[in-house]
This record gives sequence, structure tokens and C-alpha cells, in this order.
Amino acid sequence: MTHCTDEELTLYYYGEGRRRAAIARHLDTCAPCAALYREITDTLGLMAAPDEPVRDDQYGFEVWRRLQKDHRFEGFDRFERFEGFEGFEGFERFSRFGGFEWLRRVAAFGTFERFAGSGRFAGLATAAGLAALVVVAFLAGHAWRTSDVASTNVTNASNQSNTSNPANHSNLANHSNPENRILLASVADHLDRSERVLTDIMNAPAKSNISMEQQWAEDLLQTSRLYRQDAVDANETSVAAVLDDLERNLIEIVHSPSTISAADLEQLRRRIDAAALLFKVRVMSDELRRREEPPAGRALPQTSTRTIS
Amino acid sequence: MDASEATAVLARAREGDSDAFRVLVEQHSRSVFRLAYRMTGNEQDAEDVVQESFLRAYRQLGRFESRANFGTWLYRIAANCSVDLMRAKQARHDMTRAESLDETGEHLSADTPTPERLAVSDEIQRRVAHALDALSPLERAAFTLRHYEGRSIDEISRTLDLGVSAAKHSVFRAVKKLRVALEPLRSHQL
Repeated sequence: MTHCTDEELTLYYYGEGRRRAAIARHLDTCAPCAALYREITDTLGLMAAPDEPVRDDQYGFEVWRRLQKDHRFEGFDRFERFEGFEGFEGFERFSRFGGFEWLRRVAAFGTFERFAGSGRFAGLATAAGLAALVVVAFLAGHAWRTSDVASTNVTNASNQSNTSNPANHSNLANHSNPENRILLASVADHLDRSERVLTDIMNAPAKSNISMEQQWAEDLLQTSRLYRQDAVDANETSVAAVLDDLERNLIEIVHSPSTISAADLEQLRRRIDAAALLFKVRVMSDELRRREEPPAGRALPQTSTRTIS
Repeated sequence: MDASEATAVLARAREGDSDAFRVLVEQHSRSVFRLAYRMTGNEQDAEDVVQESFLRAYRQLGRFESRANFGTWLYRIAANCSVDLMRAKQARHDMTRAESLDETGEHLSADTPTPERLAVSDEIQRRVAHALDALSPLERAAFTLRHYEGRSIDEISRTLDLGVSAAKHSVFRAVKKLRVALEPLRSHQL
């Protein structure tokens, strides 16, 4: 028998692979292979299972409580409470919108009318309350969108010169530079907004009109390209990779039909799921916020070092 | 909970019964945490993976084949969430790893380890943790599943949605890197 390879011996160690009997015999007679095998077993012998932090019997309950507080999950309970409303298609989807998004969707798609029209949601006080929420949501939603677009239009001559000269270009990871902290904060904000749009798409009812989401996606797409280029220049490959994934999905959203069919919507969702995009966006946003560490009391304007051409 | 009860709970959860889903969360949280911790080596990351895994499971519950084992399905989700999280954090790890390796180098040169010092398990664990951190997310995941979880190469390929060859080579690369990284410990142990 010829000498054993590292791979064969690794598999042998783990009780896998072919020729196990032949390898066992060979190790008894071949000193170099026996030495190599000893090296592998010594190394893997050091790899004891880590001591895991203890999680008691209450842990499952704690996880459940945390899930209930997660805005992506909170509709579960709400759906149950309202599932008696028959004939209201898409209520489950609607119920999953959390906080601000919930309000915005009410404003955007006239969900209130659908509620009122169902005949099961009558009550003047409730209607008045919802109407007030609609107004607030519309104004807030409008302000939110315009701020994102406006942020991309901020042109700063000194920033531009930095961008054009790689030697002067700031690195996102350089915490000491206030400009970089601003950029970190801006990218994190951008990711948060993107997460909301993606969440909307994930929760949109079939055959609904997603033109508003498409409009936001288009705004975000422009911003995303600028930030991705900044991240590439700053050698932030992971940030750039997430923004690249994000861009591809935003493009898909923008180019989908406004009144989206169930099949197209499912395809969009599968793409987002397959790329684990929502998770990546959230984790990256958290990461950037941890790294930005802004000085106390200082507002963080939204800007990119580039402008939209 | 016996098999028929488990099936009934799962069926109710798929129909949108939150109490049933809560039972599943409470039943599987600890095992998901254990896997996530072994994969990521970090308590907070493991908690994030637990949360994300159940959210994904919840969202994809409709696609879950009721004949399959929920625990196995959830295990796959948790393993892939761990890989995604490790990938997303890679940039920060790259940055800190360079610093950490520098520190290790200084530590070794300034304070030559004796066999006695190296025998201290904390020191070994620290170096093992460093060596694991230096693996790519996929290598670490494949190694964890093979070494700590006792999964076969076939199971690893199914869990991580890889070809058998890719799974095998991820384990090989991990072991090779660990041999190099832990060589000083081995030679002191001899």
C-alpha cells in the first residue's frame, strides 16, 4: 500500500472513508504515516468541546419572549386575535407589520377602508383613532423617504476629492476619523431602511400593489450603489458584499410588475430568503453601529462621499 | 412529549397556532443555542443565531414537510444561520484577528511558554479558540459539525447544503489549518 494522505487519515480518525482495514494495517508498519496520524490525533485531541454557557429550563421561555418582541414576529399573536375577521384577505400579512411600518402601510394602501368595509370593524371611536394614525403615518412615511433621497444628494467637495484619490480615501474601519463614523452611521441607517422595505416585500399580500415599495427600493438602490463603491474603496469587503446582495434584490423589486402576481412575489421572497438577505442586513447594521461609536451629543448627518451621477 | 403529540403540535403550529409554535421554541431552544455556541464560539452571537433561526423557521413553516423531523430541519436552519452570521462578521474578525495574532506573537516571544504553562487548560482553550476563529465560516461550520457534533460527511453536506466533496474538503482544510496553528501546543505536549 502507498502512503496515506492527510485526507485519508483525517477520515480514518473520524471513522469514515474507505479502506479502513488497509489503513489500520498500514499504520502498524509505516513509520511516516504513523507519525502523520499521531500529529492529526494530537491536534484533534486538543480540540475539546468548549464549555457552553449554561441555559436553564427557563431558557426556552426567554427565547419565546424575545421572539414576541421582534417586530418581524409580532404579527403571530395579532393574527390569532383577529383571525375571526372572515373575508379579509391578507390580514395575516397586514398584522405582521410592526410599529411604524404598520402605520405606514395603513396609510399607503387604504387598509382602513378594507377594515371598515368588512362590516366587522365598525365603531366610530376606533375609526377615528385609525384615521389619526393614517395621517401621522403618511406624514412620517413621506418624511422618511425624502430624507433618504436628500441624503444622497448632499455633495461635499472635500469628500469628492477624497474619493478620487485612493491615498486620501478614508477607511470605514478607522474609528478615529469623524467622517468615517458618519459614513458608518449612514450605511447602518441605509441598511435599516432597506430592511424595512425587504420586510414589506416579504409580508406583502399576493396580487397587491407594490409600487410604493418599488419607489423606495429605487431610491435605496441609488444610495446603495454609492455606499457600496465607498465600501469597496475603503476595502470593506464584507460591507460591500452585503450591499451588493442588497442591490441585486432591490433591482429585482424595482423591475417587478407593480401589481405583483403570487408567483412573482414568491420568486422575490425566495431570492431574498436564499441570500439570507434580511439577516445579513440586520447583522451588518448592528456591526456598523458597534463600530461607529459616535462622540456623545453629536448628531450624525446622512451622507455618502459620492454623489448620484 | 411522545411522537403523536409532537406531530399534533407541529400541525397546529403550521396552521398558525402561536401556542403550538411556542411549545416548539421552548422544546428546541437549548439545543439550538448549544449548536450556535459551538459554531460561533461567542455567547451573544449564539443568542442572535437562536433568535434568527426561530424567525426563519416560523416564516418557512409552511414549506416544512410534516413527514420530516422538525428538530433536524431546525438544526439545518440554525447551522446555516451560524454560517451567515460568521460571514457577515468576517470583516470585523479580519480586523481583530490581525491584532490578536500580533498580540500572540508578542506574548510568545516575551514570555516563553513552559510545558507547565501550556498545560493550563485556559491557555489551551484560548489558543484553540484563536485557531477556530482563523477558519473560514464554512470550514468552521463543517469542522464543528464533524468534530463536536459527530455528524458524518454526508450529513454535513445535507445540513450545509453543500456537495459531499465540498463538505469533505471544508473539514480537511479546517484540520490542516488547525494542525499548523496548534503546532506549538503539540510540540510542548510531547
